[in-house]
Amino acid sequence: MLKNYFKSAYRSLLKQKSFSFLNIAGLTFGLTACLLIALFVWDEQQYDKFIPEGEQVYRVYIERTTVSEGTENMAFTPPMFATTLEQEFPEVEEALRFFNIQWKVLFEANGKQIYEGSGIAAESGFFEFFPLHFVFGSPKNALADPTSIVISTSLAERYFGTENPVGKEILIDNDPFQVKGVYQNNPKFHLAVDYIIPLQTMGFPEERMQSWTWQNLFTYVKVKKGVNGENLEAKFQKLVEQDVHPILKEGGMTYLPQFQPLENIHLYSADFKYDMAVRGNITYVKGLSLIALFILVIACFNFVNLATAKSLKRAKEVGVRKSIGASRNQLILQFLSESILLAFISVLISVLLTLLLLPWLNDFTGKQMALPVLNPLVLLLLVSLSIIVGVIAGLYPAMVLSGFQPVKVLKGGSAGNVQPGKIPWLRHGLVVLQFAVSVLLIISAIVVYQQVEFLNNKDLGFEKEQIMFFPMRGENMVGNYEAFKNQLLQSPGVSSVSIGYGFPGDMVAGDGIIVPRGGEHKRYSVTQLMVDHDYIKTLGVEVIAGRDFSKEITTDATEGFIINETAVKELGFGTPEEALGQPLHWEVWVDEPADSLKKGQVIGVVKDFHYKSLYDEVEPTVLQIFPPAFWKVAVKMKTADIAATLEHVKTTWNSFSPEYPLEYGFLDDSFEQMYKAEDKLRALLWIFTGMAIFVGCLGLFGLAAYAAERRKKEIGIRKVLGASVQNIVVLLSQDFVKLVLISLLIASPIAWYLMQGWLQDFAYRIDIGWWVFGLAGFAAVAIALLTVGFHAIKAALKNPVKNLRIE
Amino acid sequence: MIKITNLVKVYRTEEMQTTALNQLNLEVKEGEFVAVMGPSGCGKSTLLNILGLLDDPDSGSFLFNGIEVANFNERQRSSLRKQHIGFVFQSFNLIDELSVFENVELPLIYLGVKESERRKRVEEVLDKMQIMHRQKHFPQQLSGGQQQRVAVARAVVNKPHLILADEPTGNLDSSNGNEVMELLTDLNEQGTTIVMVTHSEHDARYSHRIVRMLDGQTVLTDIMV
Ligand SMILES: Nc1ncnc2c1ncn2[C@@H]1O[C@H](COP(=O)(O)OP(=O)(O)O)[C@@H](O)[C@H]1O
Ligand SMILES: [Mg+2]
Repeated sequence: MLKNYFKSAYRSLLKQKSFSFLNIAGLTFGLTACLLIALFVWDEQQYDKFIPEGEQVYRVYIERTTVSEGTENMAFTPPMFATTLEQEFPEVEEALRFFNIQWKVLFEANGKQIYEGSGIAAESGFFEFFPLHFVFGSPKNALADPTSIVISTSLAERYFGTENPVGKEILIDNDPFQVKGVYQNNPKFHLAVDYIIPLQTMGFPEERMQSWTWQNLFTYVKVKKGVNGENLEAKFQKLVEQDVHPILKEGGMTYLPQFQPLENIHLYSADFKYDMAVRGNITYVKGLSLIALFILVIACFNFVNLATAKSLKRAKEVGVRKSIGASRNQLILQFLSESILLAFISVLISVLLTLLLLPWLNDFTGKQMALPVLNPLVLLLLVSLSIIVGVIAGLYPAMVLSGFQPVKVLKGGSAGNVQPGKIPWLRHGLVVLQFAVSVLLIISAIVVYQQVEFLNNKDLGFEKEQIMFFPMRGENMVGNYEAFKNQLLQSPGVSSVSIGYGFPGDMVAGDGIIVPRGGEHKRYSVTQLMVDHDYIKTLGVEVIAGRDFSKEITTDATEGFIINETAVKELGFGTPEEALGQPLHWEVWVDEPADSLKKGQVIGVVKDFHYKSLYDEVEPTVLQIFPPAFWKVAVKMKTADIAATLEHVKTTWNSFSPEYPLEYGFLDDSFEQMYKAEDKLRALLWIFTGMAIFVGCLGLFGLAAYAAERRKKEIGIRKVLGASVQNIVVLLSQDFVKLVLISLLIASPIAWYLMQGWLQDFAYRIDIGWWVFGLAGFAAVAIALLTVGFHAIKAALKNPVKNLRIE
Repeated sequence: MIKITNLVKVYRTEEMQTTALNQLNLEVKEGEFVAVMGPSGCGKSTLLNILGLLDDPDSGSFLFNGIEVANFNERQRSSLRKQHIGFVFQSFNLIDELSVFENVELPLIYLGVKESERRKRVEEVLDKMQIMHRQKHFPQQLSGGQQQRVAVARAVVNKPHLILADEPTGNLDSSNGNEVMELLTDLNEQGTTIVMVTHSEHDARYSHRIVRMLDGQTVLTDIMV
């Protein structure tokens, strides 16, 4: 019996090729999108699940409140957290602290030298908290000795290949360490580090390790079995409020410790400052799940729409089947087996598509996801998915079809249950929804595109092209930076060199500057760029008042300050010209003698330039010459013969610090890096927009097919009465254009609101023009007309006699 | 008014081809009331469709008011049709979504008649057909006889010279049927030419002349007295 159903279903699919194709295409598309999203969502939830007793582990972070920044979550904690938790709370089994080594250090082993960027200095209990899988060596006492180091498999491979490196020596910035173990990199661990050294190696002074205010360590606690983390958190907060808040108040900052369950770290820390965890975003995960569900519902709905449209054509088949004795249930089964077969084919194709697209998605998300198709559980899931989708999508058309009255249908009466004046709200509502989503995405895509273009093309106030950039290394180089600079300038390919601390796209220092005015000394918080005489020239920053630093005027190096336009305003100097000559004091960055003041005056004002990303507003900025802070080198090159120039830089480097390899970048590259997230968002939006439009069109196509089929007779009558082809096309299209216009009305304010919110993050942003909505609306209407027009024209061109013939 | 000579219409489907009209000749004079009779499948409806410019013949000549229209294209046929021809069908063919008034108004819209003029003419014709009180109703709320009266009203609202009726009483009981025949006779007496297909000898008696068809040809013409 069942076999019979499927045989007949198979024939029926073959008979209606284009219909089957459309239906399978739509469903496949929806399922593929769902599968990909489901994989992503599932993967995001797998973090730290491998850690045994993980439910007893919490990360301690702080909710910090300052006057200037307000309240924010910070992953950095003071060292006393762990000490206090361990000593004063019997609920705590153990506490763990580690320090994130944020800068690159030079590794040297087995004859290879590489700068490594991701490591931590941890207390010895690290592997009891996080029992990573050891490939070589053992976690036991692995961090006991101050010169021990544990490395990841990927780091080990870079130096030792597949060889066992345990017992071997690694030099880190020339200090020797001994490898105690190698752990397997785990992509599902929230700490993606390549090496771990003992915390004591960092040599933090004992008094600092007893501080409540120095926040620079990550803290984790493991509670005893059965202990309620929230209660402990509350107790600890109380302690901090009582004992620590009085100390903190003096600094204008307070904090409250918070406990975060281990399994929440990956998804619930998106807004944390100074976090080193591999982070996802629960909002995205939830949003994507919603999108997946939406896509699936829409795909099923479109299936229903198309199938119902088709069902009108099959009314006669039903009449015949019924008149020869088929029961309603048999008919329902018959039609359901058709939709299940369709769903099954779609699931099959979408699995193939998913496998095909997965490498691309992995690349895009930086993940390593896989769809284990041969896993029996996954297979079972896929088969049930076909049946569920098939039943959901097929039930309504099956009911409608099987419910046709044989006599009525065979006599040629109208088959659809048309009632005058009654609008199919659900059907229309869903199409409006689909198109609203399309319009929303079209608008968002345009706005994001514009903003990214704006970011890329905005005049930054300096020239970032052709500037090679690297840090100085080794005492010889740092100590003789003048000589190093002069030798770099020897090459004809080098047009200028600047050495300093505070280059665009790199770290900058924030510090106070003092303006003596009358008898008072007022302190302002500004960005300090520690520069040399060639900084302004090398970067092409424009001087709008006064002058650049000059070597001829020796006091420039000891008393000269140059400020930017914003600083002129913020420090209350009036105009740039008026700012010239104004006195400034700065507390010099040296420990001895304390309170030594550099007293000088403003000698020049530069135009504001964007040394940070356009997310941030330009800050009041002070440039001064302060060689002790010199660290980074910027080499402006001429366009001709870059290879020879690079060679010259390398040779010069090697003559000063041969023990360090040269690692360099380019300034414009690091600027592009800052907008990587926006680029990804842009790509993602185009994809989603394309998807939404496709799905929306499919829905509209089905609806139009249905309408054309249902109104076949009416169209015939109208043509007999003199309607032209245009009349009919307009008649059929206008309803849909109305639907699209409604969706435009719904989507536009939402899109405006969302995009306005997104743009808020940028200090420099575009305005959303009205034309954006016009363009999106026009695109949506055009797309809708193209989709509907196909059916409308087909219906209008039909010979009316055919539709009016009565047997 | 109508002169048809050697008209041929062949339907081709995948499996076979049917000669619906085979070298058919027919002449209808201005003001005549002609009934076409014959067994099912002999080509009556096909003939009516061609007379109504809904379909084009494969060969032969079709003079309409002295103009050869056999080779007219879709647009030319449509414009001729909406000005000169009205249709009445066995199954009424009213549009379910439109009210009685809107159904009758439709041909005038396609003719491009102004709204005030349309209202006047529709009300006039509804009044004549005695269905004025039903103008706001929808077709499904009317009886068969009422529906056919609406259909006749729609057929005559643009004051056509020719009315083509395909079994107009086929779905009606005899009293309703007679009412429709009276309507058609009235129209004919006011000068409208009528060609009507019917199975009923009774209805045929309202006409001036009966054309009998067999296998796509006219075989006999009875003149009424
Ligand atoms: N659209 C069509 N396609 C194929 N054959 C048709 C079509 N319309 C009519 N026929 C055939 O042409 C012949 C005449 O049909 P028709 O004019 O409807 O006959 P009548 O109205 O006299 O019953 C019949 O054999 C019918 O099957
Ligand atoms: Mg017929």
